[in-house]
Amino acid sequence: MGGKMKIISSLLITFFVIMSTSVKADSSGTKVALVPGGPHPYFAAWEQAGLDAVKDFGLGKADYRVPAEWDLSQQTELIESLVGQGYNAVLVFPGDAVGTNKILGELDDAGIPTAALAGCVEQPTQAKFCFGTDTGHSAYLGTKELIKAMGGKGKIAHFTGFLVDPNTTLRINAVEQAVAEAGGGVEIIQVIADIDAYEPADEKINAFMAAQGAEVDGIVTTAWVPAVVAAQALTNMGDKRIKMVGIDHDEVVLKAIKDGFVHGTMLQNPYGQGYIGSYVMDKVRQGCEFKSDAPWKSTAQTDQFIDSGTVFVDISDVDTYVMAMRGISLEILETFDSTYLSC
Amino acid sequence: MKTKIPDFVKTNQFGLLLLVIVFILLFTFTTDGFSSRFNIYALSRVVAIDIMIGLAMMVVILTGGLNLSLGALGVSAAMFGGWCMESMGIPISISIVLILLFGSFLGWINGYVTVKTGVHSFIVTLATMSIYFGFMTLLTEAEAFRKLPETFTDFGSMKLFNKYISPLLLLSIFTCFVLFYLFKFTDIGRKLIAAGANPDAAELSGISVNRMFIYCHMLSGFLAAVAGIMLTSRIGAAIPSMAGHLGFDWLLPAFLAPVIGGTLLSGGKVTVFGTMLGAVLVTLINNGLYLIDVGEFWVRFFLGLILLFAVLLDRAREYFTSKNSIVS
Amino acid sequence: MNNLLKKDWFGLGLVIILGSILISFFKPAFISPFNLYVLMLSVSLMLVVAMSQMIIIAIGQMNLSVGAIGGLVAISFTGLMEVYDVSVLPAMFIGLGIGIVCGFINGYITVKTGISAFIITLATLYIFKGMNLGITEAQPFYEIPESVKYFGNAKIFGPIPYLIIIPVIITFLMWVLMNRTSLGRYMLAYGNNVQSSELIGISSTKIVVYAHIISGLLAAIGGMLVVCRLQLGTPNIGDSWLLPSFAAPVIGGAILAGGKVDVIATAFGVILVAIISQTLVIFKIDPFFVQIFLGFMILIAVFINRYREYREDRRNKVFSNE
Repeated sequence: MGGKMKIISSLLITFFVIMSTSVKADSSGTKVALVPGGPHPYFAAWEQAGLDAVKDFGLGKADYRVPAEWDLSQQTELIESLVGQGYNAVLVFPGDAVGTNKILGELDDAGIPTAALAGCVEQPTQAKFCFGTDTGHSAYLGTKELIKAMGGKGKIAHFTGFLVDPNTTLRINAVEQAVAEAGGGVEIIQVIADIDAYEPADEKINAFMAAQGAEVDGIVTTAWVPAVVAAQALTNMGDKRIKMVGIDHDEVVLKAIKDGFVHGTMLQNPYGQGYIGSYVMDKVRQGCEFKSDAPWKSTAQTDQFIDSGTVFVDISDVDTYVMAMRGISLEILETFDSTYLSC
Repeated sequence: MKTKIPDFVKTNQFGLLLLVIVFILLFTFTTDGFSSRFNIYALSRVVAIDIMIGLAMMVVILTGGLNLSLGALGVSAAMFGGWCMESMGIPISISIVLILLFGSFLGWINGYVTVKTGVHSFIVTLATMSIYFGFMTLLTEAEAFRKLPETFTDFGSMKLFNKYISPLLLLSIFTCFVLFYLFKFTDIGRKLIAAGANPDAAELSGISVNRMFIYCHMLSGFLAAVAGIMLTSRIGAAIPSMAGHLGFDWLLPAFLAPVIGGTLLSGGKVTVFGTMLGAVLVTLINNGLYLIDVGEFWVRFFLGLILLFAVLLDRAREYFTSKNSIVS
Repeated sequence: MNNLLKKDWFGLGLVIILGSILISFFKPAFISPFNLYVLMLSVSLMLVVAMSQMIIIAIGQMNLSVGAIGGLVAISFTGLMEVYDVSVLPAMFIGLGIGIVCGFINGYITVKTGISAFIITLATLYIFKGMNLGITEAQPFYEIPESVKYFGNAKIFGPIPYLIIIPVIITFLMWVLMNRTSLGRYMLAYGNNVQSSELIGISSTKIVVYAHIISGLLAAIGGMLVVCRLQLGTPNIGDSWLLPSFAAPVIGGAILAGGKVDVIATAFGVILVAIISQTLVIFKIDPFFVQIFLGFMILIAVFINRYREYREDRRNKVFSNE
């Protein structure tokens, strides 16, 4: 291989890069990277969402790129290398609500727009917006449903995920709030956090069932793995007395709902997050600005939040939940331009 | 024992340097993002921290031991620093001194228990790993320190040399020179090496081997704390999960750099610049694996293969050099 | 009686019995059938994992890749059944085969290169775990046959789960191996002093490779048992095995330099660790304490061993004139 050829071709490539950035970007030049916090089944829907966005909106790329470990440094290294690979828009589930801001700021300096997906970063931030489940609200609604199913009184246990996940604290607070609003009849007897891996979750949830199974009347889970393990535990015990509201759409949870061991689940909208998120990043790259009077929602972390929707599903509509979620996604998409963007 | 002056071309360092150059050329021409300013700057920061982690492990390998608690120790020190700066409002310079003392103290615990029980440091540091990490999560309630002084966090995002290089890298290279001086030209450094190379002989010649081993562990804790500070300033926050669960994510770079750099696992030999080059090589390959797009999920697989390959290569080199020395 | 007191497992057994009585006095739920069932489940799984590490400790080495092998086998086992419609038994045998191959790789490379098993198994840890992630892309396999689920969930009688059968058999076989066979004696001899065992004329290659193969096989069984228990094949099976795998044998009095392991004491170590983990949940103590507790228990065990050695040394000095 001739060294000269290499130099010439790399010069040519540089030339084209300069050309393509100076010319106004068009959709096929938009290369979106969808980066979750680490390997986790919740994000799997982003992959198809990205591919569909490429097909439907004519993007250059919208790829699902996963850090091999659930770890901020690994995520940062991955994102840094993605820039090297030519991605020019990044949607990221923040590895840390504050820590991720640093890399987002650097991307912004390099002219690459970013947004937080499925979980928010704390302001001040260079992320254009945060698009995700209002996790606090979802946990709140789920707890309300649980309390209703329990007949307004009883003892509740709350199982949730990584303490380092920016959403976990919001969820713990929201569950407490819903319980407080129910009056004196309801009481949280135990919160078990940081069980977002199957083996420790299995051990701790079963130990809990052994110790308190007779006392507890309701279980609310606000993270994927604890929901799966708790649903499994109730199914294994054959217990229909304890009411449980789970989260997300793992097959185990859905089956337990059909079988009557779990009361219902709070669905999130990962597909819609990936699909609409990719679309919006393309718009941003083409020069659209967010309206100054856009109807942002506020959360504890940011005041530029868009809710990707959440639905409570129980035995009556567990078979048709996909349609329900799609409906919400389409609704957000249809009105997105007119509501949020000025192009 | 006379210190041999090695023919530089024959050394492991030279081979490493060649490999580094080859990989740089390879990635420059086969990928379009490698030589970008953004990528080189990002690399310089990662390399800086990996060098420090590698050195921290190297000084324990010198004793023929291992330090599994490295990551947990580094994160604990970083979180302690976050607490000093954010909650206590202690000035940055004093905080840094406290962090380094804290790291050295945790290292001292490792060393003291190892020496007193006579158990392999693997099992001691396995235990302290979970103790340090457990206490850290318990005391911090897994909450990060996110409002650190700006002068501190700005250091991690400062850009030098036409925005190509992070000052963190300079710090690491400086540390390499200091360690090189320590081991090569100071009395205590030579004692440390002698104790690691042949404890019995060292003991007979009047060196307190136990004390030397404790020093090594303290130095390891010190360097791990430095790495913790650097990572904190790079991320802009002290986060309990920044080295993964139990600090385990530091272990691979920690072993890769010294082992590839030619540090003998049986102890008694350190190669400061070998470790540095080892860290550079590993970071390059890691970055290259991402750039040539082997798929994120396969990166660890390849890193494992590379570690295996590196130790095998090292073994082969040892074999040939020993054969050569017999011939001569 | 005096002999009994000297055994490693005797003291541990005493601690377990007294501890259980004490705990159930404060929390009667501790001896409820369901709690015993849960306890036995976690003991079953950890027993196999601990044995897998113990056999490597016996030859004076360590195996960091135990969890990675378990995870790789777990996802292969479930993946074969879900994606390729392999039925349970063949999938199980392929899983065992993978465990054996992984163990063989560890042992063969270690003994042929003379590089410390620590580094080799660190490398293979990343290789096996990397393959696991590469294959699954972090997605669990869900379609587990009913027979497997039943095995993981059903009880023989009372609170005794089916799941405990295999670990108990394995513990028994390990006891026979270490105490009644020449291979076991060779392994311990190798762990004690490589030189002298080579003098007897047995190949050290064989000893090391066999030990690693057994370790891989046990890790594979552990991985599949976890699948039965969780009823899904998730890629992070095995991630949390490292610390407990060392904790039990060390608490059981194994000396990390090799040459001494006690199967029964290791089993008691597993039970003790399981009881402590569970007690912490029952008493609503922060789960992080489990980590700290395990760490301290290892250190305490190490110190106790050291003390006993010291005492024995002194006694030997008194009686011998060498």
